[in-house]
Amino acid sequence: MKLGFIGLGVMGRPMALNLVRAGHELSVYARRAQAAQPLLDAGARCCPSPAEVAAAAQVIFAMVTTGDDVEDIAFGQRGILEGARPGSVLVVTSTIAPAQARAIGERLAAHGIEMLDAPVSGGERGAIEASLAIMVGGKAEVLDRVRPLLDALGKTVVHVGATGAGQVAKACNQMIMVACIEACAEAMALAARSGVDPGRVRQALSGGSAASRVLDFFGTKMVERDFAAGVQARLHHKDFGILMNEAVHLGTPLPVVAQVWQQLNALMAHGWGRDDTSSLLRVLEGLAQPCGCP
Amino acid sequence: MEIGFIGLGLMGRPMALNLAKAGHHLHLWARRAAALEPFKDTGARTHASPAEVARHAQVVLTCVADAPDVEQVCLAAGGIAESGKRGLIVSDSSTIAPAAARHIGERLSAQGIVFLDAPVSGGAVGAVNATLTFMVGGDAAAFETVRPLYEKMGKSVTHVGASGAGQVAKACNQIVVAITMEAVAEALTFAKKSGVDGAKVRAALLGGFAYSRILEHHGGKMLERDWKPGFKAWMQQKDLRIVLQSAHELGLALPGAAAVAQMFNAMVGCGLGEEDNMAVVKLVERLGGIAQ
Repeated sequence: MKLGFIGLGVMGRPMALNLVRAGHELSVYARRAQAAQPLLDAGARCCPSPAEVAAAAQVIFAMVTTGDDVEDIAFGQRGILEGARPGSVLVVTSTIAPAQARAIGERLAAHGIEMLDAPVSGGERGAIEASLAIMVGGKAEVLDRVRPLLDALGKTVVHVGATGAGQVAKACNQMIMVACIEACAEAMALAARSGVDPGRVRQALSGGSAASRVLDFFGTKMVERDFAAGVQARLHHKDFGILMNEAVHLGTPLPVVAQVWQQLNALMAHGWGRDDTSSLLRVLEGLAQPCGCP
Repeated sequence: MEIGFIGLGLMGRPMALNLAKAGHHLHLWARRAAALEPFKDTGARTHASPAEVARHAQVVLTCVADAPDVEQVCLAAGGIAESGKRGLIVSDSSTIAPAAARHIGERLSAQGIVFLDAPVSGGAVGAVNATLTFMVGGDAAAFETVRPLYEKMGKSVTHVGASGAGQVAKACNQIVVAITMEAVAEALTFAKKSGVDGAKVRAALLGGFAYSRILEHHGGKMLERDWKPGFKAWMQQKDLRIVLQSAHELGLALPGAAAVAQMFNAMVGCGLGEEDNMAVVKLVERLGGIAQ
């Protein structure tokens, strides 16, 4: 199938490569031309704008950072709207606000373009290994058309509900995941302060009720003090800004998540936004250190 | 001085009435005609748009709900900017994000209009009694021009700094007010669940370091279970949203404010948004399994 892919960052590049490997004809666009090089080497075609990508594709994937970025590639100058034919599908895999996803979907629908919000979980490793969890909002029949493509990107593809529902699921995913990272960080900090080896504690826990993929992956990074980004913490911080604003509009109390949000703010203040979210451990360690301040 | 006033709600109405009482000639605009009713006998003039109000005034005071409303009144079609009146001063007493205030100020200054952010604290009671606290950001000379008007509506008037500084002060105010409100609600519920008379506890505490105006005023009303709004819960929720979004952008952890904000999310979610923000005590009671 003729496909388009816009946004070739840490997540987008391996996802796009998996589509090429699955035998699809891919047109790509990236703001920084060098980001597209690995795709060109694999046989993809480079376009000068999202409009050209849209003109060459039946299904267009977008993996950009923010909701405003999605609006920009969709409705901006030489955006998707200028090139897409009626009946084509935009699959937004970025994490954005549910309300913004709904608004973008409506605007595209007015031009006969279908949209699915299909945010993913699984990180860079999941993108490379095509083992992502993909949570989809939008029309079921549109998902049926693109499901084989999503199967080439991930292991679980779930139709959550109408447009925006995929983003709601992603928000829930981020809440559980980052709160769990914070819980692991607090446990590791308690162990270390008690003079007990955090690595042994993590190992012991991994056989019991506290076992989780987060304890496995992020817990190990904390033990090894490897704070290089798997997922850049600034992206979790961004997601928390979105979901806490959503909670205000919904009138939903999120007591624990609100506290985790504050820890993420502190992480940003330390300048660790481009490091891994396991840096939440360093925030706790900083708070517990003897204070040299006047 | 010819004065415009836009936004005649719970706060704006008594503020404007205090200016009228002091002998000022008011120019008004309101979305709902009913809001103009109390001004019938004050000699105030009604206009068809904020732009018309601006054309007749040297100073326009606004007191609406949130940033989009301020933008609407100032910058939309028929808005104040459309008057193109150079040297006009707009003083906004709404509570909005500091960044939004700076942005609106810049847009107006392009038209030669001076914008002051002048949020208030003191609630409806303070507005009626002219005992409000004004926290003002923006041009110092413009502030001096408007100061006599602030003093007709409030008791404490402070020029905090440049544009947006008034809203920063207001955000600080809301951090203290919201957390103290929650603290008083938790303390009185602690007394209740322990089987001790909350009124006696309050009386005892008023003499010590736990004294605050909130313990005195709102604590008393919590005990009387008088939920008539001075300051509605949904407005507190909105103000805490501004605080926490600003903290998010600043990279600043505010664990206490974040915890209390969740209580106000719950207030709105469970249908208590129109009651006074001190009704947060009902949620503390509910969490503690105390029948209401």
